[in-house]
Amino acid sequence: MRIDRTHQSWAVASGVALALAAAGYVAATASSGRPWSGGSAIGLAYGISGFAMMVFAALLAGRKKVPVWRIGRAQTWMRGHLWLGLLSFPIILFHAGFAFGGSLTRVMMWIFVVVILSGIAGAALQHFLPRLMFARVPMETIYEQIPHVRAQLLIEADGIVSDACGGMAVITDPAAERATGGASKLQSSVRVDAEESAPLREFYLAEMRPFVAEPDSAHPLADRQHGDQVFARLRTLLPSGFHTAVSALENICEEERQLSRQQKMHAWLHGWLLTHIPLSFALLVLAIIHIVTALRY
Amino acid sequence: MAELIKLTIDGREVEVPRGTTIFDAARLNGIPIPTLCHQQNQTPVGVCRVCVVDVGARVYAASCIRECDAGMTVKTDVPGVQKARAALVEMLMADHPAPCIRQQNSGDCELETLAAELSVPAPRYPRRLSPRGRDDSSLSIAVDHESCILCDRCIRGCDDVKKNLVLGRTGKGVTAGVAFDLNDPMGASTCVSCGECMVSCPTGALTNKRVVGTELGGGDALQAEELLDLPVFDGVSGTFLELNQGAVVKRHFKAGDIICKEGEFGSTAFYIMDGSVDVFISAPIKHVQQESTSSGWLSTIRSMLSDRDQHPRSEETTKRWIPIDAPVDLPYDNPRARLGPGDLFGEMTCMSFHPRSATVRAATDCTALEMLRNVLDILQKNKTFRAKLDDTYRKRALENHLKSVPVLAGLSGEFIDYLRNRVELIRYAPGQVIVRQGDPADSFYLVRLGFVKVSEAHPGGDLVLAYVPRGGYFGEIGLLGGGVRVATCSALDHVEAVRISGEDFRKMIEAFPDIRAELARVAEERLAQNRARQKTTDSVELNDFLAQGLMEAQSLLVLDLEKCTRCDQCVKACADAHDGVTRLVREGLRFDKYLVATSCRQCRDPLCMVGCPVGSIRRRNSLEVIIEDWCIGCGLCASNCPYGNISMHSFAVETADPEPSNRKVASTRKKATGCDLCTDQAEPSCVYACPHDAAHRVEPLTFFGAKFGLTPPRSVVDATVREERPGVDQTSK
Repeated sequence: MRIDRTHQSWAVASGVALALAAAGYVAATASSGRPWSGGSAIGLAYGISGFAMMVFAALLAGRKKVPVWRIGRAQTWMRGHLWLGLLSFPIILFHAGFAFGGSLTRVMMWIFVVVILSGIAGAALQHFLPRLMFARVPMETIYEQIPHVRAQLLIEADGIVSDACGGMAVITDPAAERATGGASKLQSSVRVDAEESAPLREFYLAEMRPFVAEPDSAHPLADRQHGDQVFARLRTLLPSGFHTAVSALENICEEERQLSRQQKMHAWLHGWLLTHIPLSFALLVLAIIHIVTALRY
Repeated sequence: MAELIKLTIDGREVEVPRGTTIFDAARLNGIPIPTLCHQQNQTPVGVCRVCVVDVGARVYAASCIRECDAGMTVKTDVPGVQKARAALVEMLMADHPAPCIRQQNSGDCELETLAAELSVPAPRYPRRLSPRGRDDSSLSIAVDHESCILCDRCIRGCDDVKKNLVLGRTGKGVTAGVAFDLNDPMGASTCVSCGECMVSCPTGALTNKRVVGTELGGGDALQAEELLDLPVFDGVSGTFLELNQGAVVKRHFKAGDIICKEGEFGSTAFYIMDGSVDVFISAPIKHVQQESTSSGWLSTIRSMLSDRDQHPRSEETTKRWIPIDAPVDLPYDNPRARLGPGDLFGEMTCMSFHPRSATVRAATDCTALEMLRNVLDILQKNKTFRAKLDDTYRKRALENHLKSVPVLAGLSGEFIDYLRNRVELIRYAPGQVIVRQGDPADSFYLVRLGFVKVSEAHPGGDLVLAYVPRGGYFGEIGLLGGGVRVATCSALDHVEAVRISGEDFRKMIEAFPDIRAELARVAEERLAQNRARQKTTDSVELNDFLAQGLMEAQSLLVLDLEKCTRCDQCVKACADAHDGVTRLVREGLRFDKYLVATSCRQCRDPLCMVGCPVGSIRRRNSLEVIIEDWCIGCGLCASNCPYGNISMHSFAVETADPEPSNRKVASTRKKATGCDLCTDQAEPSCVYACPHDAAHRVEPLTFFGAKFGLTPPRSVVDATVREERPGVDQTSK
């Protein structure tokens, strides 16, 4: 979610709430003259408020499970999640008197720190990455369909080379595959202008096809500059009749690079949730245990 | 008895009746003379000159037309004659694409065989510079003008032997060729596909178009002789039927057997020989209605089936008849009819591969011919069969057809009787122009089969105004207005139209003022729509992307790609709101930073409407798509829509169990449906569920106009935005 001017009211309200809570905390500690206790009336008030905010933040996951329930726009829930979740941390710190306490509360506090930090990191990533993805992955597709698109690209590339250089046939004989050095499973079965098309065929079989079949960031073609140079060189080696095929292959390489980039960005966009969500729920469970034990004992 | 004369051919004295040609005299006496343009059953014309012989005159004589004289000495095989023949064949070969299609298929191209016999070398002459082209418009015969040697055998076969008078010569010199009618494509000409021209052709210029690898399995395979014994094949070329063996079979059905099912894709038509069949639509005659389950916070949307009485929609049709791919229309209230001997059904499926429009079940034990499109094409062009079909149509279907058109429902029986023998049933090949913009308006047309595209010519290209399906009509605007066609109507696929002459049309509107008023109202409505569309297209500063129709949309779902985290909550929400079937795919065209996701955008060229076998998808006057109750769930519109904006929704229904017939069984039927903007909800679910403020439903003219300085005139916005909808942003956010 982009954190822009539309968040202003939430930011102001959260700031005001934080200032009031801080003022209350300062006033309470100054007036009591005793060490702060989370179990005191005011400490409990902070704890209940903080926990309520945590619960509200956690309910976003439930809200997403029922997207059509008319219980407030998901956007409002998300903003509440961001700002109240963030606010809950200082409130809980006030509740704890900035002390990490015993072993359970210490664990909880550290988990809380990680949850908040991962949340901030996630918010930052979701603020910047969509714009970056829009700019850098114009050929973006639906994430789940990337393997299918890749398979299509491979078929398309095989077809282009086959049309330009003569028929391409898959070698099914392992001995024959070994004979090609295992670099590729393809060989040219029909030689069309063999000498003229040789640079294209060799480049495709040795370099490009492995990259398209199994994209690897360490592959030289994964680097766009290198790719540009390779294709520029190919154009100088090949007669102009092959240049259309070269351009088409260049586009396929570019699409491959963009798909890899999309995968990476997608992992960044959503990967942080693997930390944030489990720890948030662990924190909630521990908080419930903490509440029960604190109230009972 | 004719007088006998004596002459010498290649040293042999022969005796023949006076008037015999040298060619025939030689052949009668076992002396072969090669020829290309002459056939025994045709009048000789001597155009190829390959049959030249030396008769001792100043020049060689064409033996096929030169009559024998008493005492004549003929030399058929001397070197000079051989050389002349070889030179002629070499020149013909210079223009012949050797090996031609006939030589490739059966190795019996007469020209190439003769060239080999005469040891003609590779032609020394260059080929013609301008190709003469091919004509693949006929379903049964392929025309390759490149292979034509202008021997005229096809012309004599068509005109002299079969008396069809379709083929003739066109052009002069290098532009000379054979032509159908007034140089029309063969498929659009009056050719009856008798096959005589093809059988007569010595090269690959006219060859049989066999439906490759689609011989019909099962049933009784019929030999050509057996087919010719059937009255329906009366007048069809036996050679042609021999070439298409396996493309027609006789099938026997027992009472209750299902012959074909609605929605299935097929490629054959059926001709009932005896017995009768029931034609019906088993899909519920209902449309998809969206309704909130309650008005509370936890309300969801429920999709259900309702008919037009239970849930009337704006501009709901009042049609009482459902058009199907058979010579009858089905009544809306009880979509069922019976067909009997002589009836043909499945024409659109066979000719244009549309899905079956209805289920057909044998009512009694019956026999039917099942045929592929090449055989159906021959039959449809066969004069005898055509006359029979026309007669059946006039007697049984015309009245239904006229009354199924809402504006003509008020026609009296008397007037229909008057029209019965005056209307013309005309077939049009795909792409053929039926009426042309600017031409004088002289007829009114009702579409009986296929789809007609209505387009208007503009400097930037043609603007498609509508697709008229079976049951629709066109041509009234020109007749009611200035007498000039205001648009071009052309056949989108194989179309059959009923033509009512201008004179009869005028009689009709004079006799029935209500019909006149209704036709005038519809004509005015159509013209208003066209004007609004034209205004939109003209007034907006379109760039390439907008030209694709974006600005024509009335409501778009756009995703701001700088905010969207690709979490797919919008897709999940759409699926949740519609019983698990999403109508939204998060992919599509991009404009600026927006992804234009699915939702009907009222395309200029609404491909979804093409091919609907029952004509159940149409536009409202507001240009929004409406799917009528009798959708059979074949899914063609969904697959035709290039944007994936139509989805198929499954419903559990009860249908009649054929055995025992009084029982009902649970089954699942599908109905086509598009984005409904989550009717009854304050905001579309996709927008409501987006946590990142990325999804917006917008009115594009205003939204993009404000963002990018494209400011359409107010009148255009007024014309496009008929009503402010909930959940649709009218302005930029």
